Amino acid sequence: MTDQVIYDRGYRSYDGPRLGPKGARRAVYKDGVRRVLGLGRKARLKIFPWSLIVIAVVAAAVFVGVHWAIGNIEESMRQEIPTYGGLFDFYSGISLLFIALAGPQLLIPDRTRGVLSVYFSRPLTVDGYLTSKVGAFATVVAAIYIVPQAVLHLGLGLIAEEGFLSYLGNNLDILWKVPVTILAFVLVHGAVVFALSAVIDRTGIAAAAFLGTLFAGAAVAGRVAEAGFPGASYFSLLAIDHHPRIIRDYFFGDTVEYAPEAAGFEVWVSVVVIVGLVALAAWFVRFRYRRLA
Amino acid sequence: MSAILEVDDLTHDYGEVLALSGLTLEVPPGVTGLVGANGAGKTTMLRLMLGLLHPTAGSMQVLGHDPQREPLVVRSRIGYMPEGECLPKDQTAADFVSYAAQLAGIPSHEAKRRSSETLFLVGLEEERFRFLGDFSTGMQQRVKLAQAIVHDPDLLLLDEPASGLDPEGRTQMLDLIKRLSDFDVNVIVSSHVLTDIEQTCDWVVMLDAGNLLRSGPLQGFEKLGTVLVEVLEHPDSVAAAIEEKGFDVVVDGLRLVVGPGDESIEPIVIAAAANTGSGLVRMIRGSASLEDLFLNRETV
Repeated sequence: MTDQVIYDRGYRSYDGPRLGPKGARRAVYKDGVRRVLGLGRKARLKIFPWSLIVIAVVAAAVFVGVHWAIGNIEESMRQEIPTYGGLFDFYSGISLLFIALAGPQLLIPDRTRGVLSVYFSRPLTVDGYLTSKVGAFATVVAAIYIVPQAVLHLGLGLIAEEGFLSYLGNNLDILWKVPVTILAFVLVHGAVVFALSAVIDRTGIAAAAFLGTLFAGAAVAGRVAEAGFPGASYFSLLAIDHHPRIIRDYFFGDTVEYAPEAAGFEVWVSVVVIVGLVALAAWFVRFRYRRLA
Repeated sequence: MSAILEVDDLTHDYGEVLALSGLTLEVPPGVTGLVGANGAGKTTMLRLMLGLLHPTAGSMQVLGHDPQREPLVVRSRIGYMPEGECLPKDQTAADFVSYAAQLAGIPSHEAKRRSSETLFLVGLEEERFRFLGDFSTGMQQRVKLAQAIVHDPDLLLLDEPASGLDPEGRTQMLDLIKRLSDFDVNVIVSSHVLTDIEQTCDWVVMLDAGNLLRSGPLQGFEKLGTVLVEVLEHPDSVAAAIEEKGFDVVVDGLRLVVGPGDESIEPIVIAAAANTGSGLVRMIRGSASLEDLFLNRETV
């Protein structure tokens, strides 16, 4: 029992502005960003996300440094060094770890600790709550992807022989190819991690399930697709993690042949799978939370 | 001022389980107790008021709005303190209460200021920067109250607010709730602790298995006690005369226990004693506590 005492210091009414549902959604969004980054939380909750962010940015700086060092030795060798697509590959593991942490953190504690009863006693709908959480997730994860790419882009511009502005001008396509690729990654990984976090009550298990779904799913789907029975090739589409990588390769050049490609599917099929996956996950999470509310 | 809650023939079921059955009542401004045993329908009632459930039949108006049609309008004017756990353990009290204010639409700079003031009000000014996971049950109850009042709601719904508090903390919490009505905050307290309701409320709504037992001012309930009567002779004749008027009578020798009922009992007893020539020796009205009334399951 507590030995605290309530001192009645009066109660102040509030006559200022009230922002209504819009303000509520904004609050959920801001809290989501802070939660994923560990802001306002204990120090140990900050270590993991910020370590991953620092590693991703340092990786981009190293890429620029390698380009600069190799280019000083032999300009022709610079063409062989991976750039934007290669950087995606280089830190995809980092981003997956980050997403495995962020998705469960956004949904599970609110649900398991009963905080949803506070949310839904406020001017906030289930859809408003979920879209704000998705927005927070997308903002942070997209930033995790885009900041290293921006460092690389500007770095390559600075060391380019044609000059900084000329380099940027000659590579305007990067300004849409990188965001579209990031969108593909965010959609696929977000759909999977949100769907799992909507039903699993422990953040660690949800994170493991997310990574298992992507890695084991890709391995199993690839093997089954190679089995040779009628329709086996369609199983390759269950290699969910391969679809954004196929889109990345479409823009930045092939790295390896992924399971759906090996089964003969074109890039547009990956786009359709991504859209379908997102729609399915959105329906499922919404259904689950409408029941909870 | 008009009623803060108007309920008309309200019914709600969960499939085969009937949670509320044809409730019709009005609750005036002030502090109201929602009383009933577990499963009486109290939580269902609160969830209907928040627009989180839809009634099977009937209608409800909260602060003049239909929570089914305008749930966000109603919720923007309500503060809700849930009975169960509702606090994130990895946030400080100040951060969470500020966040709760922002969820109600208060701008962030103002939310921070009100968070500090409200935590001060509930006696947690020293602990406001501690993480909620480190709080005792009593402190968590205070934070739950703080998040419910931080946005200055017109109506406060409190579900077992004194749960987990020691006797002193319980008294202070109930006094604080009582005082909120002085600041134009209407309160509906759901509780199964009837003495808490008696200490706190002006109006009482009693539910039992989804049915309305009583809805009325707390002061009126004491008038619904029994009347102890003693006569010189013919107690059975007196009892029969009183029972004809619709009141229960228990005869014990020359003594009769009449009621419960309102002040109309006394003239009936006097008339019955005079008409039967029984000789009225004395007549004393007993008071009824909420517990007596609840245990008697008497409806009005």
